[in-house]
Formats: sequence, C-alpha cells, structure tokens
Amino acid sequence: MNTRKPPALAVAGTAALVAGSLSPWATFAGYPGKMSLGGFPGGARLFCLLLATGAVLFVLDLGGRRRAALAVGIGAAAVVAVNFAGLMDHGGGIGSVAWGAWLSLAGAGLLTAAAWRLPAGTPAPKEWPVLPVAVEVAAVAAAVLALLGAVVWGLRINESSRFVSFLVFVAFVSVAVHHLGVFEALGVLFARRQRIALVLGGAAAVAFPFTQQGNAYWIRVFASIGVFAVAAIGLNVVVGLAGLLDLGYVAFFGVGAYVGALLSNAALTTVHFHVPFLFVVLLGGCVAAVFGLVIGTPTLRLRGDYLAIVTLGFGEIFRITANNWDGLTRGPNGISGIPDLAAAGFDFGESHALFGVTLPGFANYYFVELVLIAGAILVFTRLNDSRIGRAWVAIREDEVAAAASGIDTIRLKLMAFAIGAFLAGCAGTVNAHVTTQVSPDSYTFLESILLVAAVVLGGMGTVPGALLGSTMLFVLPEKLRSFQDKRLLLFGAALILVMRFRPEGLVPSKRRRRELRERAPEGVPGLPGASGAPPGSPVAG
Amino acid sequence: MRQFLQQLVNGTVLGATYGLIALGYTMVYGIIQLINFAHGEVFMVGAFGGLTVYRYWLPDSLASNVWVALPAVLIGAIAVAVGVAVVMERLAYRPLRNAPRLAPLITAIGVSIFLQEAVRLFYPGGKRQQAFPQMISSGTFDVGGVTVPWVSVFVVVVAVALMVGLQVFVKTTKTGKAMRATSQDPESAKLIGIDVDRVIVVTFVLGAALAAVAGVMQGMRFAQIDFRIGFLAGLKAFTAAVLGGIGNIKGAVLGGFLLGIVEALATQYVPHGSSWKDVWAFVVLIGVLVVRPGGLLGERVATRA
Amino acid sequence: MSLLEVRGVTKRFEGLLAVDGVDLDVGEGDILGVIGPNGAGKTTLFNCLSGLEAPTAGAIRFRGAVLSGRPDRFTRAGVARTFQNIRLFPHMTVFENVLVGRHCRTHVGLASAIGRGPKFRREEHESEDRAAELLGFVSLDQAGDVVARNLSYGDQRRLEIARALASEPGLLLLDEPRAGMNAQETRATADLVRRIRDRGVAVAVIEHDMRFIFGLCDRVAVLVQGRKLVEGLPAEVQGDARVIEAYLGAPAG
Ligand SMILES: Nc1ncnc2c1ncn2[C@@H]1O[C@H](COP(=O)(O)OP(=O)(O)O)[C@@H](O)[C@H]1O
Ligand SMILES: [Mg+2]
Repeated sequence: MNTRKPPALAVAGTAALVAGSLSPWATFAGYPGKMSLGGFPGGARLFCLLLATGAVLFVLDLGGRRRAALAVGIGAAAVVAVNFAGLMDHGGGIGSVAWGAWLSLAGAGLLTAAAWRLPAGTPAPKEWPVLPVAVEVAAVAAAVLALLGAVVWGLRINESSRFVSFLVFVAFVSVAVHHLGVFEALGVLFARRQRIALVLGGAAAVAFPFTQQGNAYWIRVFASIGVFAVAAIGLNVVVGLAGLLDLGYVAFFGVGAYVGALLSNAALTTVHFHVPFLFVVLLGGCVAAVFGLVIGTPTLRLRGDYLAIVTLGFGEIFRITANNWDGLTRGPNGISGIPDLAAAGFDFGESHALFGVTLPGFANYYFVELVLIAGAILVFTRLNDSRIGRAWVAIREDEVAAAASGIDTIRLKLMAFAIGAFLAGCAGTVNAHVTTQVSPDSYTFLESILLVAAVVLGGMGTVPGALLGSTMLFVLPEKLRSFQDKRLLLFGAALILVMRFRPEGLVPSKRRRRELRERAPEGVPGLPGASGAPPGSPVAG
Repeated sequence: MRQFLQQLVNGTVLGATYGLIALGYTMVYGIIQLINFAHGEVFMVGAFGGLTVYRYWLPDSLASNVWVALPAVLIGAIAVAVGVAVVMERLAYRPLRNAPRLAPLITAIGVSIFLQEAVRLFYPGGKRQQAFPQMISSGTFDVGGVTVPWVSVFVVVVAVALMVGLQVFVKTTKTGKAMRATSQDPESAKLIGIDVDRVIVVTFVLGAALAAVAGVMQGMRFAQIDFRIGFLAGLKAFTAAVLGGIGNIKGAVLGGFLLGIVEALATQYVPHGSSWKDVWAFVVLIGVLVVRPGGLLGERVATRA
Repeated sequence: MSLLEVRGVTKRFEGLLAVDGVDLDVGEGDILGVIGPNGAGKTTLFNCLSGLEAPTAGAIRFRGAVLSGRPDRFTRAGVARTFQNIRLFPHMTVFENVLVGRHCRTHVGLASAIGRGPKFRREEHESEDRAAELLGFVSLDQAGDVVARNLSYGDQRRLEIARALASEPGLLLLDEPRAGMNAQETRATADLVRRIRDRGVAVAVIEHDMRFIFGLCDRVAVLVQGRKLVEGLPAEVQGDARVIEAYLGAPAG
C-alpha cells in the first residue's frame, strides 16, 4: 500500500469542510445542534466532520478509493444540503444560513472535485487473506459493535432534520465502505466465523435494552419489530427461498395471534382453557401451518403470479371471517385485555432491574422474541443449506427441470408454505401479548404488503435482509414523524424504486443478486439497456 | 321471483362495471403476462378525473345539461386515466420487462399504493368521500315489478357498446391484429415487424379508457367516490377476468357479468349475506383457479408450459 | 424382459396427434436411436416417457412396473433425461446443479436438516462425493464453482447429463445432445454416451446427425408424423426405402 502526497484540491476541500463544520451554520438560535454557535460541532455538523476523515483516501492508495472518495464528498454535500433546507424552513429564507454552512458546502464540493480527478485505479480486492483467528474475531466484534453503536446513536436523535442528516451520513458512509470492498470482506469473514458472529450478534441484540437507560419507548418499538422479524424470516422462506409470492401471509400471523389470545385467559376469550405458554406458541405455529397446508394444497399448482392473488384472496377471507365469526373471535371488536405472560412467578409485564439498569416490561417480551428469532434463523439457514433448500432454489429457477430432476415440486412448495406459516403463527401468539389485543383490522392486505416489503427491501433470501427490512419499516416511520401523513406514499414509491434500481434489496443473497441482475432474454422482447442500474449502485438504494 | 329478478338486474349492472375493468386486466395480461395490480387505481383515478372536470371546469350553465356534462366528464376521466396508465407503463413496468415475474408484480403493488395515497393527499378534500354528480335523472321505471334506475340502463348500454366496440377493434383494425399477434407469440410478432412497445402502450391506453368509463359509472350509481374504491373493484374485476379466462376478451365480459350476478344473488340469498358481501369474489376466484385455472373460456395455464 | 416397455403411447394436442400409438422397447445396456423429421413427435414422446406430459392413451412400463403421475416419480423409478433446449438451473453453480440431481436419492427430512444429525452429514457427504465423481466423469471437475449459465454451450450439455446421471437412472433419455456442436465435440459426446452405457445405464437418444446415430446406436427407431415407421439395426434402417422417402418428402431438419 503506497502513500501519496494529497492533491492540493483535496487539502483545500478538507480544510474548508473541517473549518466550516466547526463554525456556525445558523444565523438564529434554536436550530437543533446549537447551530448558531461555533467551536465543537453539534448536530449534523458532526457528520460532516466525520466525513472529512475520509480525506485519508487521498493519501492511502486503496483499491476502489475513487468511488469511495466520491461518496464521501457527495455525502458531505448532501448532509449540508439537508440542513440548508431545514435552516431555511426554520429560520426563513437564505439569510438564516450562516457562513459556516457555505464553507462546508464549498469544502464538500472541492472534495468531490478532487475525488473526481483521482485515477480510477485498482478495484477493491475480491479475495481476502485469512488472518489469525484473534484478528478475525476482533474484526467481527468491531463490525457488530459498530452496528449496535449506529442503531443506538440513531435512535437517540430526536429531531427530524438531524435524523435525516444521520441517515444520509450512514448511507454515504456505507457506500464508501462498500466501494472499498469492506462489506464483501465482512461477508466472507462472517461466513468463515459463523459461530462467533452469531454469538456476538446475539450478544449485541441482548445488550440493546441495556443501552436505553430505563427508557421504554424504543424497547417497545423493538418488541414490535421482534415479532414482525420472526414473521418476515418465515415469509423469506416462502418468497426468498422457494420463490412463492404470498400476499396474504399476515393471515398466518393472525391465526397465531387468535390462538394466543383465545388461550390467554383474557376475560373476553371465548375458549376457557389454559396451557403453558410455550405450548401455546407451538400450538399457534402448528395451527397456522395446518392453515398453510390447507390453503397450499389446492393452489400450489398455480403459476407464481396467480398464486400471489389467490393468497391475497385467502388473506381477505381470513380477515372477513374473523370479522363475522362473533362466537369465536368476537367479531370486529376482537379480543382485548390480554393479560401479560407469567411464568414461575415472573410477570412479563413488570419492569425488572438488572445490572443496575431498569428494564421495562417490554424488554421481557423482546428477550422472548430474540429466542424465537434465533430459532427462526436456525430453521432458515439450515434448511437453506440442505437438499431441501437446493430443491427450493431449483424450483425457483426452472420448475420443469426441477421436476424432471426428481424433485416433488408440490411437496416442497407445501413444505415452504407450512414452515413460513408455522413461524408466522409462533410470532402471532407472542404478538397477542405484546399488543394486549387482537382484532381483524390488524390483519389487512396492507400488513401483508409490509411483510413482503420487509423481505424485498432488506434482501430476498437472507436473514440479515429480513431483520434489516423489519427494523427499517418500524423505525423510519417513528423517526420521520414530520412525514407521518406521507408515509404510505413514500412507501409505495420506495417499492417502485427498489424494484427498478436495486431489486435484490439491501442485503441480497449472492444467488438472488445474480438472478435479478442478469436477466435472461426470455419472454417478451424488451428494450436494450433494461438491465437495471450499473453494478455498485448505492447501498442505500 | 320478483326478488330474484331484481337481484339479477342489480347483478347485471354490477357486472357491467366489473367487465369493463376486467378488460384492462385481461388485455395487459394477454400481452405481457403482468397482473397489473394498479389497474383498479386507474379506475379510481379516472373517476376523480371526471369529477375534476365537472367540479372545476364546467361552467354552471352547462353542468346541468346532460348532453354537454356527460361527454365532458367522460373525456376528462379517460384523459386522466390514460395519462396515468401511460406514465406508469413507461416508468414503472417497461424497465422491468425482462425481470423475473415477481419484480413487476411488486412494482404494481407499489404503484397501486402510490396512486391511492397521491389522491388521498393531494386531491382537494381527497381524504373524505366526494359527492359525484348524477347527471342522468335519478328516476327509475318498473318492469314486471322490478325497479330499474335509468342510470343502470345507461351503464349497461354503454358497457355493452364499449365491449362490442373493443371486440371489433381487436378483430378488424391493424393495431388490433398486431395486439392479437403479440399476445400469441411476442417473439414472432417482433420478427414480422410489429412494434411491440407500441402495442403494449396501446393496450394500456385501451384498458385505462375502459376503466375510466367504469369509474364514471360507479360514481354516478353511488353518487360518491373516494380514494379507496379502486382496491376492491380492481380485485373483483381481476376475479372476473380469471373467471372468464385471463387473456380472453370475451371471457372478461362473461366473467364480469357472471361475477356481478353471483355477488348480487349471494348477498340476497345466503344468510347474513351482506356482511360476507366481499367474500364471494374471492371464493369464486379460488374456486375457479383450483378447478379450472384457465377460466371458462381460456386455455390451461397450470404450471407446465 | 426389457427395461422400458412402451405400448401404444399416444399424445393428442387439440386437433394434432403428436405421438400416435408408438410401441418401443429398450433393453438393459441398449443404446436406442430415435430419428425423424422435425415435428415428428420425438420430443413429445420423450416428454411422455419422463412424465412431463401425460399420454392421451397407452402405457409405459419400466422394470415391469407401470409409470404414471408427476415427473419426479419417473425420475425416482429410474428414467432421467436432458432437454433439447438446455434447462439447467442457470444461477446455481455447476456442483449445485449436480447435487440437485441427487435429490430423489437422498431422504433427510425437515427435522434432520435442521438438527444436522449424523445421518444428515453422512448423506450430504455421500452426495458430494457422487457429484464430484460425476463431474469428473463428464470432465467438468475443474468447473465445480462456476455458475452454470457462464459455461460454454458444450459444457452446459455435459452438465445436464451429469445432473441426470446423479439420479442414478437405469435409462437416460438424451434429446439432441450434440445440437450445436462441432465434429470433435460430437465425437466426444458419442464417446460419453458409450461410457454411460458401460456404467450400466441404457440410453435412448434423439438426434438428426445420421452419422452420429448410425455409428453409436444398437438399434434405431424412425418416427414420422407421430408414428413409428421402422425400427431395427442401423444397417436395416439406413437402407430402408420408406425412411429415405420420409426424409426426402419432409422439409430438411
Ligand atoms: N404443448 C404443445 N401443444 C401443442 N402442440 C404441441 C405441443 N408440444 C408439441 N406440439 C406439436 O407436436 C408436434 C411434435 O413436436 P415435437 O415432439 O417437438 O417434435 P420433434 O421433437 O420431433 O421435432 C409438433 O407439431 C408440435 O408443434
Ligand atoms: Mg424435438
């Protein structure tokens, strides 16, 4: 690795960006991050300062550094731009933007120009050396910690403008890091040190509630994400592995929720029968799986898009049935007042103190969900890497060839359907207790679409994809409250854009990426150049 | 018996709307094998287009004149629906022409949500029900004890005329023949010099225009519209298309009327029928796909091909 | 007793009789050639023999048992095939493609796949060994990690054969295995077919290349317009006036 003398343009740009970030950005007080003051930077200025460290790319001759440096420069400009908009909105007009912001913008521009003039150079390495175990484990730990840190940091940010700046910052840093080949290397590393990675990832997930200093808000949100994620992993078996689009999947979640509610001893339940909760979870899963088999048996012969609509139909039938079957489901009112779980004198609704941190009741459910997620991950990954998983891929790629190769396609599709339904059912039973009520309007078509979106946005066929997708779909709406009303509009637009520019999602599986990027010239003749974005489009799609 | 006949009439009127929308599904599917999930929203947007013309552009003096107001509203509806459909095809679907099947389907869902929300957020008063002008007299007449509103007569007559017109178009015009050739074998169609992209656009345009007319009809019959009307109407129309045999124009018409009648009769004769009103379409859909996936007039479309 | 007995198999598509009352026998260790002009119904016959199409009439017996139902049952019974227009799993690796062929000879279910017991590992190792051996057999052992669609045309054809062989068939149906190959590759393919037979697998092969067929096959059947015109030793078929007429009377193919 050679070091070089940095070009003057880059030096000037960095200096301007740093100076600008240490200077006031606002001519008025009250903008988040004490923007009218200089000195140590607050708010979004910190992100610019951090991006300025990317200037080392001009010194170190790393593979792929040109695109990475470009991402740094453009990212800094984007952070400033977001705040320009915010400042003008808060203060009133261009006069409310102080000279520091202009200086930062100029610096970002110079950096971008300097990056533009860098030679294309070598691409990031594809093969990474095997390092000593301790180093590799440390790298995995660092990556996990960085992720946990980013999440905790992001959640702490309350103001919309600062949070958007944060998102922009994270997105561009990810792009830069991606172009340096780091994600690729981490992918290899995590695969090689799978056990350790899982343990550390699990530890980070367990640690999360302890970072909230007794505040229940985000723990409650994450308790919702947990159940949703289990269902999303289940749906990923169906959509991501077997390639069957299920648009009524939330019905299985609903079946589980009703099982959980009916067996919960709630005052309003119509079934007075109580069994240990572990049993309820499994029962909810099994009942949902039976529904999956019943729905799947007649319909899985159908071609993919027909199947999608038929599952949609079943989803609606489930909802309308729940709405009308007063004797069992109590109709539109549903079953409310579902009590908290209690096991061996431990009340899940109570807060508990552990290691000097008060954990609110939701944390208990969150931990239960982590166990469930771990189980779902186990099921997903092990099936994926077995003759069953290979058969699913084969069916997805060419159903006729799969059948001719000796695969009982109907049986395998049913299996995927049942497993997906089982996981959703299990998640549903827990959800009944988290939300304390179950009613038909929680299981609409839109909920099914949200689940599909979690899988599609996150990345079809991968566990991290489903987890990331679920988290985004819950955290972003919470954070972007100023867009509250336009949430669904943005959601619809996001679906369109992702399918257009990054159909494999944020964390794609290798094979899915190949499928979605290299389009076979089959079917209707299409336009030349219809092959999607060039490789290496932004990670934040 | 009178009740039965009454429901038959109601079902026929309902079915005329389903049939008109179903034509759009069936034509697009026939040509590019896409379930255009957003087609229901094109219907809804069409209705709003018609409303816009009536409410904002027609001077009051002309608004009460059926012979001016009705054509103006229809033209407005068609213009808006066609515009939306063309943009949607160009920006959302065309780039995915060769992508795996699920990609355009998910895009279609995205388009559907986007259009609903766009109307809800940006149409003046779009969050609430909007009164839709009746234009034609709200009167009724009786035949053998069955009450028939004039609007219903209008709806059925126009729908049938459009269906016949479409059939003639597809059978006799050059573009229509190109459509049929493309739906049978796109590769060969391209080889013999048919501009497939143009055919696809024409297909979207025709489907949108028919859906827009259906949107105006729906508005006139119920005297109100909102941003949600596309979802269920779209699904039911899709069911009608499948029932008749997707890709088959006559099938869509047949499926539309059948589904309308089934729904009307089931609502009347099944106990608690009205609270299950929206279930019948799905039951029919599933039943057809399971028993005869090709629909009544279609060919087999099970997995093998 | 023959391995495969085909009796009166007929396939009708709407008005068209694609296959019309065909009788056919393939014995253990046989190489049977099937020739005929384009559109004669050869592929449709193979589709019936591999379960992809249900015959309109007639019976197929393999090792004495009647074959019917979905294609996987045919494969499990021991009839494997390749396709005229290659149908690999394009985004899977070469090695994975062959592993998929092992599906019907492996049995671990959900529970053991999740639990990863000794049975699972034993079976998985066995499959991997077999797949590696088969890739060597078709000389693709260097290409195991290549994504199937990136293979050359000839390699794709050989991979398809390896995938078919992975299901341990008693009879292998090859639909135009040398289409698009040059003379040298054609010779290698003929050699491969012989080596397959030497493994104890009977082969039925559709081809248009007469030299390939007559040099390779023990017997040849001629299909014209869905009917079996002649069947016999290569020498007999080659000189048969009816065959020559059928070919001259039909568009070249
Ligand atoms: N699925 C099908 N539907 C209708 N006709 C078919 C179908 N498959 C094949 N055919 C027709 O059957 C005849 C025999 O075709 P095929 O078996 O492919 O011939 P070969 O392989 O001998 O060239 C052809 O006329 C073909 O058009
Ligand atoms: Mg053939």
